Amino acid sequence: MTYIEKPSISNVVKFEDPDVAKVERLTVMLNTGTDIYQGACKKRGSTLKDEYRKVAGVCYMDPKDMAKLGVGNWESVLVKSDWGEVVCYAAHSRDAPHEGMIFIPKGPWANVVVSPETYCCSDPTYKGIEATVEKTDKEVLLMADLMRDVYKKYVKEGEKTEELPSLGEIPVYKKIARSK
Amino acid sequence: MAYEEPVTDYDKIVENCTCAFCGSNCDDVDILVKDNHVVGVRHACRLGASKIMEDEDQRLTVPMVRDENGELVEVDWDTALDKAAELIAGSVRPVFYGWSETSIEAMKPGLELTELVGAVIDNQATICHGPTVQAVQNVGYPLMTLGEVKNRADMVVYTGSNPMNAHPRHLSRYTTIPKGWFRKRGRFDRTLVTWDPKYSDTAKLSDIWVPFEENGDYAFCNAIRAVLKGKKLKQDVISGIPKEDIYELTEKMKKAQFGALFFGLGLTHTLSKQRNIDIAIQLVQDLNKYTKWVLLPMRGHFNVNGFNIFMSYEMGFPYGVDFSRGYPRYMIGETTTIDLLNREECDVFMVIAADPGAHFPGGALAHLANIPVIQIDIHWGPSTELADVVLPGTFIGVETAGTSYRMDSVPIFMKKAIDPPETCREDEWIVNELLQRVKKLREASK
Ligand code: SF4
Repeated sequence: MTYIEKPSISNVVKFEDPDVAKVERLTVMLNTGTDIYQGACKKRGSTLKDEYRKVAGVCYMDPKDMAKLGVGNWESVLVKSDWGEVVCYAAHSRDAPHEGMIFIPKGPWANVVVSPETYCCSDPTYKGIEATVEKTDKEVLLMADLMRDVYKKYVKEGEKTEELPSLGEIPVYKKIARSK
Repeated sequence: MAYEEPVTDYDKIVENCTCAFCGSNCDDVDILVKDNHVVGVRHACRLGASKIMEDEDQRLTVPMVRDENGELVEVDWDTALDKAAELIAGSVRPVFYGWSETSIEAMKPGLELTELVGAVIDNQATICHGPTVQAVQNVGYPLMTLGEVKNRADMVVYTGSNPMNAHPRHLSRYTTIPKGWFRKRGRFDRTLVTWDPKYSDTAKLSDIWVPFEENGDYAFCNAIRAVLKGKKLKQDVISGIPKEDIYELTEKMKKAQFGALFFGLGLTHTLSKQRNIDIAIQLVQDLNKYTKWVLLPMRGHFNVNGFNIFMSYEMGFPYGVDFSRGYPRYMIGETTTIDLLNREECDVFMVIAADPGAHFPGGALAHLANIPVIQIDIHWGPSTELADVVLPGTFIGVETAGTSYRMDSVPIFMKKAIDPPETCREDEWIVNELLQRVKKLREASK
């Protein structure tokens, strides 16, 4: 099975857990790295598709942390660090328990919040970053829309990226008309 | 997971192809071909199979250049190559980044082009195992081949790495599960250990899991070294691990007949970076006072090691080599891609067989939005969203043959199974064309 709709995750978040105190915003340690779903989707080349945002635009959390925020699987959370903020899906981590730690697979979503600081050692700091997580109603963006929203390379002056139509899930470019 | 019928409708099987995904370079992959299309893959893992059965919707098939509205427009090869050559010839501080997912053959003209224009050439090691390479230069490298591990190892340690997700066949083909000459019972004759703060998919399979704290790797390795040297540990808990456990683990490691330590980006991406690797290598050196231990970095792309070997052989430096002064210089933190982007130094960026859009931190990518970007790749990816000239390459190991180096530095020739799409060109051809065109432009401007 090469294509998946989204990674399979367990669903055991207990919102009524008496040990869990509700909070608005959680301070966590952010880790990034590869994960098999992200790897398979990325290298197959399906990065524009909805599948990519379901495998890489995900914030894997400990179920206790999810209960604290009151978020369920596949609901949106806003992850903020000193370097930026990005909306991801919350999902139950396969590697739980790891309270106070979140994992976002490497990809355009994680890039927004990781640190470019190399400490003169060529390698940016992708792991062990302080971040906060909170619940949000915003949608997780598709890859092309996210790249436009964050880097604004081809956005004209005065245009608001949130008002532009989505770039969609297939490559868009002007083709040369070929005579058959 | 749903049951899938085996693929029976194919014209031929191309046997013993090499998987062009991770540094395990599995060279036993069979590709099932029908009408010059891959219809099935045997023996590869989920990652390898998904790459070989690529997503044809997103395949880059034609050269493209951005117009003034910021839209990509299909053009012919000449126009695209001329545009790219013009950008390169007119640049002051170009960076040529990538190379890890292409063949050694394509790197050759790439290096020539780099020398000609005085560019910086760099590969993915700069964002993954760069610190490892630095540590190797600091303290050496007790290396082996994976075959030795398969035949001899009775203790295998993975740290800062999750091979079940990133190199899925590493355990089953090389290190833990296969039967070896001295390990007749395979898995049962070996102890698998994972040091990882998370209960990762590899940890779940392990006999021993050591969950040291986040950023605790440096102290933990040092504690083992102290014990090996006969010192008493003064703290009761080190990096979240009780000292008794450290004594016990050290004893086990000393008693192993042949131990192998594999480490991944968990070590290079945390704060202590190359110092973590220094310590890991020194730990293995210390263990060799008692018994045989070896170590190997878990290289990510199938040819990321190849680039480092190629560059070291040709120029004496492994990655991040700067030719702006007419001779090769290598200065970590100065001539490396992320630092050049962070300082907004580079003025033309060429990316070949890599996807910085998906893997560079936003802070570094922000500069790619200010400068022209040339992309040579096979799929429309996050980098295409930032690219001004797009040149479609061919798929090494499936459509084009070439040489790559496995993570243990064994060179492997990867054969081809099908013909590339008509409108695409081999990476080697593209880079060579760019070289010739830049040469001409240079001569004309003299
Ligand atoms: S382990 Fe790596 S090289 Fe082997 S089949 Fe899987 S992805 Fe390919």
